[in-house]
Amino acid sequence: MELKLLTQLDLPAIMQLENALFESEAWSEKTMRSELDAPHSYYIGLFEKGLVGYAGLRVSPSDFAADVLTIGVASSEQGKGLGRELMNALLSHAKRQGAEQVFLEVKESNQAAISLYQSLGFEQIDLRKKYYQPSGENAVVMRLSIQQPIVLGIESSCDETGVGIVRGNRLLANALHSSMSEHAKYGGVVPEVAARAHLEALSPTLDQALLEAGIKLEQVDAIAVANGPGLAGALMVGIGAAKGLAVATGKPLYAVNHLVGHVGADVLEKGAVELPTIALLVSGGHTSLLLVRDLLDDVVLLGETIDDAAGEAFDKVARVLGLPYPGGPQIDQLALTGDPKAIKFPRGLMLPKDLVEHKYDFSFSGLKTAVARYVEKAESDGIEISKSDVAASFREAVIDVLLSKAIWACEEYKIPRLLLGGGVVANSRLREEAKRRCDAVGIELRIPRFSLCTDNGAMIASLGAQLVMAGRKPSALGFGAESTLSVTTVQTP
Amino acid sequence: MILSIDSSHGTSAAVFSNDCLSFVSFDDPFGHAESIGLAIEKALSEAQVSVEQLTSVAVGRGPAPYTGLRVGMAAATALSKARSLPLLGVITLDAIAYAAGEKDLLVVTDAKRKELFAATYKAGKRLQGPMLLTVNALGSYPGFDLIEQRCNAKLIGSYAQMALQSGIDLNELSALYLRSPDVTPSAGKKVSG
Repeated sequence: MELKLLTQLDLPAIMQLENALFESEAWSEKTMRSELDAPHSYYIGLFEKGLVGYAGLRVSPSDFAADVLTIGVASSEQGKGLGRELMNALLSHAKRQGAEQVFLEVKESNQAAISLYQSLGFEQIDLRKKYYQPSGENAVVMRLSIQQPIVLGIESSCDETGVGIVRGNRLLANALHSSMSEHAKYGGVVPEVAARAHLEALSPTLDQALLEAGIKLEQVDAIAVANGPGLAGALMVGIGAAKGLAVATGKPLYAVNHLVGHVGADVLEKGAVELPTIALLVSGGHTSLLLVRDLLDDVVLLGETIDDAAGEAFDKVARVLGLPYPGGPQIDQLALTGDPKAIKFPRGLMLPKDLVEHKYDFSFSGLKTAVARYVEKAESDGIEISKSDVAASFREAVIDVLLSKAIWACEEYKIPRLLLGGGVVANSRLREEAKRRCDAVGIELRIPRFSLCTDNGAMIASLGAQLVMAGRKPSALGFGAESTLSVTTVQTP
Repeated sequence: MILSIDSSHGTSAAVFSNDCLSFVSFDDPFGHAESIGLAIEKALSEAQVSVEQLTSVAVGRGPAPYTGLRVGMAAATALSKARSLPLLGVITLDAIAYAAGEKDLLVVTDAKRKELFAATYKAGKRLQGPMLLTVNALGSYPGFDLIEQRCNAKLIGSYAQMALQSGIDLNELSALYLRSPDVTPSAGKKVSG
């Protein structure tokens, strides 16, 4: 007996079983076809030489709920526990997708099914008279409550100390302390300054998160911590704290990938992410284009920066223009009054010869130097330049490359979904242009709110919760900081 | 029942109840993040003590190489907070001096970059320090016995136990770095040649 996801190829077999089981109340082939492909639907079948049972579930991510839509087992195979097997598979999917309640309807006369559901924890909440037509039979409405895990997540990979708390896919708290202002005089993040600030911010940030969530530490079911990629000395503060918490509370500890955390953050915004998706993560430390088929099991790095991160380029160009750190918001502001087409700055790795090996990689170092040359030459020649035009033209060059490659990836992999994350996504022009370009080619764009885009503890808690909800084992207590952790390692075992 | 933690050189943890009930040490000077949880867990299990039985947590707050020091301090901070226990901050040099007895002491530990973290003691009281000394300056303390020793959780716990009984204040919990971060503000250098 084999349990598989159902596809359109299984449609004839499903219809044969559907018609045999439900007769005059069976779904039409047209309904079944569209159900199989509907967003957030999950149809599975049990096979033994052919389809012998099937079941379907629909998740409503933003309601934290799921509905069992259908379940059927061939009459020759009934009484062998196949219904229970199918239901268990549906429920583990619902749990993983963040459902806190699962609903179903069942014929009042179908006592065997009702007892099965009761044994799985469902309770009757309503009786709908004459619900089934044409038979006129009553429907019993049942509900299962799922206690989703409360997870506390710690983030300390760069200059933000974050402690977030989630329950399943629900955000309970997102406390943050940033040391950004302490780095301003140095023109960039200084690892030792960041690490010192993490240690000092740890205790107050932890207090704030628990206060915000209105829970006590004893109520937390698991601890998660980002153990890479990032600044090693900074990561170690979070790891030390997480291990202290885990030993003190006896709760399981999950070491998770900071970058995958950025992708997972979106579930806190709009519920479970529709997969597969292309994800573009742009921050001061990373510029990565990912193909996410499964958040926990199948994240592929399509490309990344081969020199500076996009955010770093913003900081460096800001410095050239005499603007303070961090450069992103400064350049965004200055560019408002500038002409993005005034100066033709180079687009890194966009030439046909570059695309052979670096189709999805980025390079911003040449762009940064081109801007510096332009500004410094004008200065030495005594020519007055428009800083607004420089800012706008530079910003346009960065955004053009980022979005061109992201949309190429959507097209090449035939995935009409793009997810943006990372601090640079705060850039107003990037958001606006992403929306315009995605709309033009029919790509669904998801951008989490700003506080979930920049580094934060909630995204780490959320990824930890995904692992708990999927029944993954905790990490062993001996893990360390991995400053160059690959995006394919979602959890350090 | 005191749990003591130190990551000033290696990573270690110990449990004290008058006597030292357990002491677990990982010597790898680069494995603090890896070892800290294991050290605490093992110290508790070897002492056959559960976290619920602890009454306070003591931690070495340096001076010591920063990256490792912070790991132990972060763990101690989180653990004490989670159990609502008082956290006691111990200066590592004080712990070493206490173990060496009430002599005139110059206690030093390696501060890297050819420098030493140091403090002087007379009759069990700290006179000077903690401070940074160059190796050459060691000769400037005639009459003091030079003690060069690494700290560990056993020394920290033993000192904390004495300090609690003697009413010594251990409420200061900030890390002792004794150096500013090794960085200078940017001068706005030219990018192009």
